[in-house]
Amino acid sequence: MTEATTTDAPRDGRVPVTVLTGFLGSGKTTLLNRILTEHHGMRIAVIENEFGEIGIDDALVLDAEEEIFEMNNGCICCTVRGDLIRILGALMRRREKFDHILIETTGLADPAPVAQTFFMDDEIAAQLRLDAIITLVDAAHVLQHLDEVKPEGVENEAVEQIAFADRIVLNKTDLADEETIAEVEARVKAINAPVQILRARNAEVDLRQILDVGAFDLDRVLKDDPSFLTETEHQHDTTVTSVGIELDGEVDDSRLNAWLGNLLRTKGADIFRSKGILAIAGSGRQYVFQGVHMLLMGEEGAQWRTDEPRRNRLVFIGRNLDRDELERGFADCLATAGAAA
Amino acid sequence: MSITTPDQALSVAWEITIDDAPVALSARGDLVAVAGAEGTVRVLDAAMGAEMGALDLPSGALKAQLSPSASHLAVTGPMGYALWRRADGRVIVRESGAWSSSAAWANDERVAIASGRTALVFDADGEELWRTEPAASTVTDLAWLRRGRRLAVAAYGAVRGHERHTAQPVVTYPYIGSHLALAVAPTEKWICSGNQDASIHIWRTRDGSELTMSGYPEKVSRLAFNDTGFWLAADGAPDLTVWDFSGKGPAGTAPRQLRCHETITALAWRPGAAGHLASGGHDGTVALWHATGGQPANRLRPVRTLDDVDSAVAALAWAGPHLLITAHRDGRVRAYGLPSRTAL
Repeated sequence: MTEATTTDAPRDGRVPVTVLTGFLGSGKTTLLNRILTEHHGMRIAVIENEFGEIGIDDALVLDAEEEIFEMNNGCICCTVRGDLIRILGALMRRREKFDHILIETTGLADPAPVAQTFFMDDEIAAQLRLDAIITLVDAAHVLQHLDEVKPEGVENEAVEQIAFADRIVLNKTDLADEETIAEVEARVKAINAPVQILRARNAEVDLRQILDVGAFDLDRVLKDDPSFLTETEHQHDTTVTSVGIELDGEVDDSRLNAWLGNLLRTKGADIFRSKGILAIAGSGRQYVFQGVHMLLMGEEGAQWRTDEPRRNRLVFIGRNLDRDELERGFADCLATAGAAA
Repeated sequence: MSITTPDQALSVAWEITIDDAPVALSARGDLVAVAGAEGTVRVLDAAMGAEMGALDLPSGALKAQLSPSASHLAVTGPMGYALWRRADGRVIVRESGAWSSSAAWANDERVAIASGRTALVFDADGEELWRTEPAASTVTDLAWLRRGRRLAVAAYGAVRGHERHTAQPVVTYPYIGSHLALAVAPTEKWICSGNQDASIHIWRTRDGSELTMSGYPEKVSRLAFNDTGFWLAADGAPDLTVWDFSGKGPAGTAPRQLRCHETITALAWRPGAAGHLASGGHDGTVALWHATGGQPANRLRPVRTLDDVDSAVAALAWAGPHLLITAHRDGRVRAYGLPSRTAL
């Protein structure tokens, strides 16, 4: 974190929120206990969906029961978590300031409504920042969850939780052999190519790697492992995969809006997450966006340096992704595209 | 203590500070109750601001409701509720566990309190009389109709009407959406819900016919009818909207738009039929309006604003037509005296 990257967007004072997902037995409670007991000097509020018995003096722990609400905005996949809206709303009215909020979901929870809650409620969006979705994976047992065949129309929760993750904590590596671990990592990367995997035993991870990491910090993620950008294997695949695009040039604002708007409107149900850092023609600042299904939130990021190439980077994670179509669609958004055609 | 403002028409009658961030005010009879986010609750004498009672809800408070003659106080919060009796200053019911969004008094003898997905009805001694069957999700708001014979319960997906001592609803007003606030017109002709999806949904009680006011920029979480039931004020945008519910109702009409606050954090009608409304904003400003003046679709300006407190307005309440109570996030609770019934 010492390196000053171009994506060091100005801190906005909003309280970061970490979402902790993972199957029962993946080590969420152990990790939560670690976060609450380690001397990090932060005041943390925890919203628990799984009724653990955590009582720590220095943290506020609130119980919640998952309540998924549909939104009447014509967006078929747009659901939010009513319980979180209520609880976060009450937390924000307290005088005591929390440095961090942690939401622990149940093992079978769909991360989409959790993430969408941060897009759909203005009060929450103004005061809280979804920092990262952290998914715990049990190295010894996750393959059987991933391979579980679900009835038509029912999502495999393990796949979803991996697809939505900004960081994967690959836990219980002491209980799996190296061959299994390698296979798990390959499977995770096949679903969510840009995700960073942290190996752990007994949920022992550096908390700086999971708290306040800035999932918008796509730049660093791509720098770590840009290989998936050129990967071309799965083109029409019903399994969940990632498509990364990297293209130099300046993007025309209105073409981008038309393309991205149409893409998410028509394919949003299949696109779990989208993220990007773009160079918009006429703007000296990066445009940083991230989306969950059909919802998209964008903001200005860091200033482009004068000598820096205007490089656009996007990632889509989802089902039935067509790399060629996505690449062509985005290339047409470049400000120079019209002249070339 | 009396701080006189330059304008003699309005003066600060009293001011106190509580050691909490207020979230709710209730003013009934000669009392004012203030509840804080961390659960501090104070009962004050409306005229002087003197403390008349105190209780705590350890896990925090969301709402406070005094009974009509101020004989009892119900306080609800994220992890439970409490019922306080003035006669002996005791908490006669205290329950913790479930989310308790709101309480509603039918009269001094009957209070409904939301607890998780259920609403419970207690008598003046704190005895539970009956409860509703669980709704589909956590109850968000409650209101009484028919002089306390019917209880309206709002939760995700519907507002349900329960007759006394009847767990099952006798009438259901469905609407797929998260109902954040419920308002029943004093005429009982209309039931309205403010919604997470940035709309107001309206049912005519006579036949259940529906109407949706959509297109608000933000969720609608505050709704209030004035005393006559002819006017509904709502948040959901930088503009407060005031809808005309007289005659056939607001279908096809445009609301008055009240522009003052960037973010509306409180609203309260002045008792009476004059159409006077108080609103509060995130920047600490309190605005007083003749909210029913002008023509439909008019954008109105406040009659006056009070802006010497730079902490967000947390709640507003009228202790009768001559006393406006304001609570700010920094803990300040203030009473403004308004001598004239007709002027603001």
